[in-house]
Amino acid sequence: MFPWVYEFHWTAFHITFLTIFFLIFAAVVATVILAVRRTQRAEQLHTMESIQWHSDFEDLSPTARICRHELSGNVQHRMCDQGFDCRSCLVHPLLVAKQTKTPMLQFEVHGFTMPPHRLYHRGHMWVQQENDGTYKVGIDDFGTRIIGKPYSVELPPVGSRLSVNGKGMLVKRSDANIRILSPIDGEVIEHGDSEKGWYLKVKADNPENVMTHLLKGDEVPNWITREMDRLQISFATSGVGATLADGGELVSDFHRHYPKADWDGILGQMFLEA
Amino acid sequence: MDKILIPRGLQRTSFWNFLLWIIPWIALLSLGIYAIYLCLAEGLFHTNMDNRFAFGIWIFLDLTVIALGAGAFFTGFLLYILHRKELKAVINSAVVIGLICYSGAILVLAVDVGQPMRAWFTFWHPNTHSMLTEVTFCLTCYLIVLLIEYVPIVLKNRQLRQIPKFLVFEFELHKLMPVLAGIGTFLSFFHQGSLGGLFGVLRGRPFAFREELGIWPSTFFLFVISAAAAGPSFIMLTTLLVEKITQKKLVKPEVYKFLGKVSGTMLIGYVLLKSIDTLIWINSTSPGNGFPAFEFYATQSFGSWILFTEIVILGLIPALILLSSRLRENRKLLFGAGFLVCSGIMLNRFVMTIQTLALPTLPFDDFLTYSPSWEEVATFLFVIAYGMLLYSFTFRYATLFPQERELSLLNGELSSQEFVESSKQKSSWQPKFILNLINKFASSKL
Repeated sequence: MFPWVYEFHWTAFHITFLTIFFLIFAAVVATVILAVRRTQRAEQLHTMESIQWHSDFEDLSPTARICRHELSGNVQHRMCDQGFDCRSCLVHPLLVAKQTKTPMLQFEVHGFTMPPHRLYHRGHMWVQQENDGTYKVGIDDFGTRIIGKPYSVELPPVGSRLSVNGKGMLVKRSDANIRILSPIDGEVIEHGDSEKGWYLKVKADNPENVMTHLLKGDEVPNWITREMDRLQISFATSGVGATLADGGELVSDFHRHYPKADWDGILGQMFLEA
Repeated sequence: MDKILIPRGLQRTSFWNFLLWIIPWIALLSLGIYAIYLCLAEGLFHTNMDNRFAFGIWIFLDLTVIALGAGAFFTGFLLYILHRKELKAVINSAVVIGLICYSGAILVLAVDVGQPMRAWFTFWHPNTHSMLTEVTFCLTCYLIVLLIEYVPIVLKNRQLRQIPKFLVFEFELHKLMPVLAGIGTFLSFFHQGSLGGLFGVLRGRPFAFREELGIWPSTFFLFVISAAAAGPSFIMLTTLLVEKITQKKLVKPEVYKFLGKVSGTMLIGYVLLKSIDTLIWINSTSPGNGFPAFEFYATQSFGSWILFTEIVILGLIPALILLSSRLRENRKLLFGAGFLVCSGIMLNRFVMTIQTLALPTLPFDDFLTYSPSWEEVATFLFVIAYGMLLYSFTFRYATLFPQERELSLLNGELSSQEFVESSKQKSSWQPKFILNLINKFASSKL
């Protein structure tokens, strides 16, 4: 059949059939080789974290992927397709130009302490510019309350590099390990501990562009409202059932009060991890 | 016990319940392995096939599962080539079903041939005059494609995705899926067609023989179209079955309706072509080969009711139901029609294999009867058990239905869009729910 074996004849049928067969086989093999090569290249270019995030992002439920401009009321309905990285979004600058809302002055949102001078990442991290030009990064009040008291927190060592939506911290609880996304790019120059608090001090790679993708102003209360909705619905799958929400605040460390809930699933949902 | 392997946020039955579920299938699988061992080690005399009746339950199973597995290629074609994004909800399931069907068919073929150690002969010394050579080549290549398509589903397992290289490989492979979907479509078109094309050379069997249109007989095209019609219906039915067994919502109703519409559209085309083909066969092909067509239906067990059932009851009626948007709204009718479509293709493959060989073709021939041996049945059941196990494990440890998490979040009551709308309408959300929760807990403690 093949040119070097029994029964092959130099006829149009044999040549056509073999050409098609070999082309298909070559295409299948080339596809796999290409995927392997791209994986190796991603490793060399240190883009694996970014790809991991995009994979997680694709698996998020639509309610978690709502665009920040829907939160602020700039658009009726819009889904984010940029992995919450507005720096690469072509629509974001256009919508910012249209923005007429006033900046947030509230300190508390639904009982959460959300200082207005901080900026917020969708993975529940805040960023605050320090006087020395560096940035302090930590888990926001909402995130802190739903995590409760972890038994360990792994922070990146001083000198290591962070990338937006890459791994920022790893919080370990008895029932779940939660990776917290980094809100900025840069180098870790200091970090906290259980006594000083779990924070990172980061020297940003590109200080002019460090804030573009972070939530601020009146985006924050609307975002927290949506997050409370998501939290409630996540609870509903734990066998509690959805209830109408009409008042109250989230107590700190409330997970202790409901140990049987699927915390692994709930925290995965809230911290954007598939 | 195995919670760390189950995708985050998905609810699965307990490990012990799962064990209870798989034990009967493992028992069936073991019986099948024993039957396969007997056939391969001692010979094909364990079957009730012989030189006169060479198409038995195995070849019927092969043709049927390959047709039902067509949902994999057709869904991939619609999603990746025609960009019908709604099918993303079932593509993983379609790939697993395709993999089960094709690997099961190839395994049974290996037993049927009886010399699996010489399987490579078909590639090295192929019969270049046989359409089955093309089928063999296409089936093998397509099985490789399905295995590659299955890899990303496995690599997205919760523990495997923790290994960055695996997740990145999965991501990169997924980006290349349109290439594999295109190749799969090409291969499937030809092997589905070539299985039908076989009847273009069966001149000695005027019941199944069909004249050529160009270089292919009409059955080439009928097999392709009927498989494309049955594939989406089979995905619809399997998804419903999984929903019923697991008592979970896995896909949105629109996905079912779309699959039904696709199936109905292909089926009406098939019914039309099949009717024309049958008329030509009755009036020209069969008499031209010395047999008035209705002589074939003189045998009581294979009367003309089979033809009527195949074309009208299992063809035209479900096609009309699936084509009506109003009737598709009715779940019972939608799934009932899907069931009829799948039954129709099974009947068609039965007619083209078992009935074809049972009917006498020479004056001294008798009507042949055949009933499968227990080894043949056990091998048949092996494929079903293997399919159930592979699907069950994949469903438990991988994300087969991407909408499941979202639908479970909404507790199966609100669609995602309704949820977004309703949450937008709430001007100020106050989480009394959490307080209720804590109060409930506190009171239960007291």
